[in-house]
This record gives sequence, C-alpha cells and structure tokens, in this order.
Amino acid sequence: MGTLASDPGPTPTVPARTRLSGGPGLRARVTITFAIGAFALSTLMAGITYFTARASFLNERQAADQRQTFANALLVKNALRSPGIQVDQLIGSVDTLPGSLSVLNTGGHWYATSISLGQSQLPPALRTLVLQGTPASQIISVSGTPQLAIGVPLPAVNATYFEVFSLAELAGTLRTLAFALAAAALFTTIAGAAVGRWASGRALRPLAGVTEAAVAIAGGDLDTRVEAGDDVDLQELASAFNRMTANVQSRIEREARFTSDVSHELRSPLTTLTATVGVLEGHRDELAPRARSALDLLDGDLQRFTRMVDDLLEISRFDAGSAELSLDHVDPGELVRQAMAASERVGKDQRVHGTDVPVEVDPAVEGIRLAVDKRRFERVMANLVENANLYAGGVTRVFVEAFSQQPGDEPQSIRVIVEDEGPGIPVDERSHLFERFYRGSRSGQRAFSEGTGLGLSLVAEHVRLHGGVVWVEEAAGHGSRFVVELPIDGEGTEWGPA
Amino acid sequence: MSRILIVEDDERIRSSMRLALEDEGYSITDVSSGEEAVAQFGEVPVELALIDLMLPGMDGFETCRALRRHSTVPIIMVTARSDTHDVVAGLEAGADDYVTKPFVAKELAARIRALLRRSRPDPTGQLVLSFGDVEIEPEAGVVRRAGDEVHCTRTEFRLLCELADHPGKVLTREHLLEQVWGYDYFGDGRLVDVHVRRLRTKIEPDPANPQFILTVRGMGYKLAV
Repeated sequence: MGTLASDPGPTPTVPARTRLSGGPGLRARVTITFAIGAFALSTLMAGITYFTARASFLNERQAADQRQTFANALLVKNALRSPGIQVDQLIGSVDTLPGSLSVLNTGGHWYATSISLGQSQLPPALRTLVLQGTPASQIISVSGTPQLAIGVPLPAVNATYFEVFSLAELAGTLRTLAFALAAAALFTTIAGAAVGRWASGRALRPLAGVTEAAVAIAGGDLDTRVEAGDDVDLQELASAFNRMTANVQSRIEREARFTSDVSHELRSPLTTLTATVGVLEGHRDELAPRARSALDLLDGDLQRFTRMVDDLLEISRFDAGSAELSLDHVDPGELVRQAMAASERVGKDQRVHGTDVPVEVDPAVEGIRLAVDKRRFERVMANLVENANLYAGGVTRVFVEAFSQQPGDEPQSIRVIVEDEGPGIPVDERSHLFERFYRGSRSGQRAFSEGTGLGLSLVAEHVRLHGGVVWVEEAAGHGSRFVVELPIDGEGTEWGPA
Repeated sequence: MSRILIVEDDERIRSSMRLALEDEGYSITDVSSGEEAVAQFGEVPVELALIDLMLPGMDGFETCRALRRHSTVPIIMVTARSDTHDVVAGLEAGADDYVTKPFVAKELAARIRALLRRSRPDPTGQLVLSFGDVEIEPEAGVVRRAGDEVHCTRTEFRLLCELADHPGKVLTREHLLEQVWGYDYFGDGRLVDVHVRRLRTKIEPDPANPQFILTVRGMGYKLAV
C-alpha cells in the first residue's frame, strides 16, 4: 500500500524572535526626536514673539504717524482757508519727518514735498478711497522699502492730504529681531539635540551594560552577569537576563560534564581491556591462527574505541571551555619534523601506514621560535596525516613557511601545509569538513568505518585555541591542501619553564 | 627481579595490570587502598610504586606524600585525566612520572624501566660535581649541601646530575625529558618544571629566587656558573 498524498512533513519551527526596532539606531532616533521637538517649540515661540513684537511696533508707529498726519492735515486745512495762499509754499512748509513725503490734492492738482516724488507714490486703491472721502492708511512697499501711506480727506476745503512715512527703520529693527530669534531657535534646536543625545546615552547606559554582557557571553564567558543597581525599571531586565545566562550556563556545563563523565567512566573498562589484550598479544605465539585473527580484530577496534573516548574527552574540554594551552617556544621546522615522525610511529602501531614524506622548511622560518602547545600540535598533525591516509592515499608533501600580511614585514604566523594527491574535496564541502562527524560525500568510502569522525573537528579546535586558523584548498594539480596557520606569538595561558 | 607495588581500587584493573607486568618480568604486590599501601610498604621491599589517583579514603596524592615521607622509591601515578591540575598536583605530591588510563602495558613497562635505571644519565667519569655549597657524588648517588646529605629521589638526582654536567649551558625541557625520563620530543614539560621546583626547595638557599638552577624563559633551564 502506497501513500496517496505526499507527507508535507512537520512544519519547520521558526525560532521566536522579538523584533526590537527598525531603521536608525535608538540613540539616533531619540536625538532626532529631541531636536525636532526643540526646533518646533523654539520656532513657535520665536514666531509668536516676532509677530507680537511686529504688531505692537507697527501699531505704535502707525498711531504716531496718524497723529502727525492729522496734525499736518489740520495745518493744511487752516492754511487753505486763508485766501491767496500759495499751495506750493504751503506744502513746502509742512513739518515732516525725515524720509516722509507729504502730498496734497486740491482743486484737482497734486502738490508734493518732493520734486521727484508725488502722487505716483500713493497706491491707487488708497488714493481712490480717500478721494471719495474716507480717511485710510495702507502699508506699501516702494522699491523694497516698506512705507506707510495715510490719507485724510479735507472736504471743508475741497482737498485731500496724504503723508507717506518710511518704515525702513522699523523694518531694520524687525529684521534684527527676526535674526536674533532665528539664531535663538537654531541654538535651541542644537541644544535639544545635544540634550537628547546625552539623555538617551544616560538612559541607554544600562542597556550598554547588558550589550557588553551579551557580547561577553557570546564570546564564551558564561560567568558574566549584569548588575541592575537601584533602578527598579532595570532590575527586572537584569534578573531575567541573569536567569537566562545561568540556565544556558548550567545546561552547557551539564552537557560537557556528561560527556566528560562518560569518557572517564569508559576509561576503567578500557584500561582492563587494553592491559589484557596486551597480555594476549604477548602470548600470540601460543594462539591458534583463528584466535590470532580474532585478537587482531579485537586489538584494532579497542584502539579505535580508545581514540574515540580520548577525542570525546578532548571535545568535552573544549565545550566546557576548560581546554588550556601549555605553550613552549620551539623551532617550527623541528616541531613539524618531530610531529611527522611521531605520526609515523603511531601509524605503525595502529596499522594505518604512517608517512615518511620529508618536511620542507622555508629558509625564512629559520630562527623563528613558535609559541605552541606541542601535544596539541602533535594531535593536529597526526589527525591530518590520518585523514590523508584514510581518504587520499597518504600525504605527499609537507612544508613549513613563514607568512606575513604585508610582503617584506616580519612574519606574523607560521603556515604548515599538508598536501595529498587524493580525489580532493568538493568546494561546497570544504567549510563543513571541520565539523564533528561530518562525512559528506566520503561516507561511502572504506575509511568511514575506520576514523572516529572527530579528527578534523579537533584539528580546528586545537588550532583555534592557539588563535590560528585551518582551512582546506585545492592542491596544485589535484588533491587537497590543508593549511594550518599559527600566530608566532600565540595566545593563551603559558605553562613554560617556571 | 624488581618488586612493584600496585595501588588500585578497581579489582579488574589491578588484576590486568598484575598479569601485564608479570609478563614483563616484574614481581607484583597489589593493594586496593592507600592505607594498605602504607602498611605494606614497610613489610615488603618495593622498588617502584604505581598509585592510582582516585582511591577511596586516603587518595592517591595523600598516599604518594605518605610514601615520600619514608622513601625515595620511584612513584608513577596512574590518572584518568591528563588535565593540568591533577598531573601537577600528583607530581608535587612526590610522583616521578605519570601514565594516563588506558595505558598500553608496553609503554608502562618502558616508563618503569626508565625510572629503575640506577646510574646517572650519561656518566662522564667525574667523581664529584660541585657548585656553590652543593657537592654531588654521581657514582655513590649522594648529594651534600654544606656538608649535610640532601635526600633526593632518583629522578631529582638524575636531573641534578644532568644540569651539573653542563654548567652554564641552557638545557631545553625536551633535552631534559629525554635524558632524565627517556621521553621523546612530545614528553610533558610539566615533569621537568615540577621537578626543578622540588630540587630548588632542597638545594637553593631561597627557592623563590634561585641562584643555582635558573629559568631561561622560553628556552629551558641552566645551572649558574
């Protein structure tokens, strides 16, 4: 019976994520908000101040000018009553303020105090209105200068008197005021932004503490906690954060301890097994051929099992963060030669052929002392050699070179390069190669049943502990090239000669 | 035939070790606790002790210290972990070397042989070596400081002789590991460091500011001339 509909499978669970915010940063947004607030408020205040002051100045000025105009109009009216008056002289005798102009219309003729200026200065609407008998005033602009024109009809003498005052001075005062207000508004806006920045910085300071703690935790320092201080708003966040960290920490520790405990517990039976298999090996000659074959199988898998337990214990130390470097300062060429020799010996013991490929050393490496944990480095090389043996027919080339970021500089790191002429590793598998139990497309190969599956991941962990990197690339021709790069001044705790 | 004392609480491990070491030609006395070990130690002449660190009651460190109070017999501690703390603590308790479980019997036998070698690493034929107020008689296995005999373990003695044989010369930890313990390049340098510390407490006037056995940082040790 076949399945009719294909099973869509379980819906993949998307981890719950709380979206915190989008767009610009929190501080930037608070700063901008403060700046906008300060700008709006200061502009409003400046506007109110400006227009109130302007209206008040203008009213005052208008009242004064009207008084002047009415006084002059009265003077003109009285003068016009006297017979035989010379209007030209009359208009010339009117007492005007500097910059103001008097215009008189009597009997259809226009007279003005200025020769060049006259009735043309008067706005037509005002002129018409006043000529019809209504006193009026209007603010006009003459070649960019504001002016106040006031007209007074004098029906008793059949005349109309106009006076035009320059408001240039008032305009200047208002301009100065506007400028001062604008400057104040600008200053307030900037001050607002600054206050916003400061306030947000202050408000976010505890958040910065949390961020710092989170970064430290992400970096592996699980003992980090945040302190809330007396701030009740923050205490909740801090305690939740600390609870979360403690949970994560205890889970990680429990897991690492479990792996470590299991590995340790396995060591007791393994010790008995190893010792007794050793005894049987010693009595090999007394065994029947079939028993010898069985012993070989037993011995082979016992060694593999032991390696697995060792590797698991090593991994659990990395996971628990308790892996420590024990640094020595050594000659890199000698180190690699010794490690290759050791892997050869181990290879013989474990029935995996070792390698006798000579180690090539770049002359630039001469004289450099590399800070390295020899035991870990030996494991790195052994695992790389084993990897090549299992999957690529063995190591074909090993060389050691000094590497510097800028050509010509003092070398900062040592590169140990291990090449094989095997089938190579597909590009898309290279980044996964150093993951635990990753087999990729090699899973069908003979070696699947021989390696522990942890070798290359331990290589990566050992190298990382030194502050170095390891990667794989294509060797010239074909095959793989593993590059281990170790900083010359290694990091980590030093256990040197004391 | 050298007699070896095995102190191990796991009966199966004890039996398998006995089988393996008897095959290597040693006589075995085995006990399951530190208390028994101390009691047996006075009864039977023992040439080397193998002590498990994790013992119920009196633990391996304490047993090691108890044996050291009476004897300079070589001690190999057997540990389930090679972490810094246990190894260093065991060496400081007086052990000469350590093996990690599970160990291969042949390797353990090689370690035992290295520790049982009587003579100093590379006899130069000199009858007396001396520096400061310290005098060493390599053939007699005697160290004297200001005329008084200093009790050294065999490993301390070999280490001291090796340093005294090359006064003023920097000896790397690898060199000392090979000459004194018979280890290859990847031997544990902590063996050298802890033994140097122990030697200093015996022969230096002020062990915290050594004037004879000097540290050459990043390189090794040398005997001041």
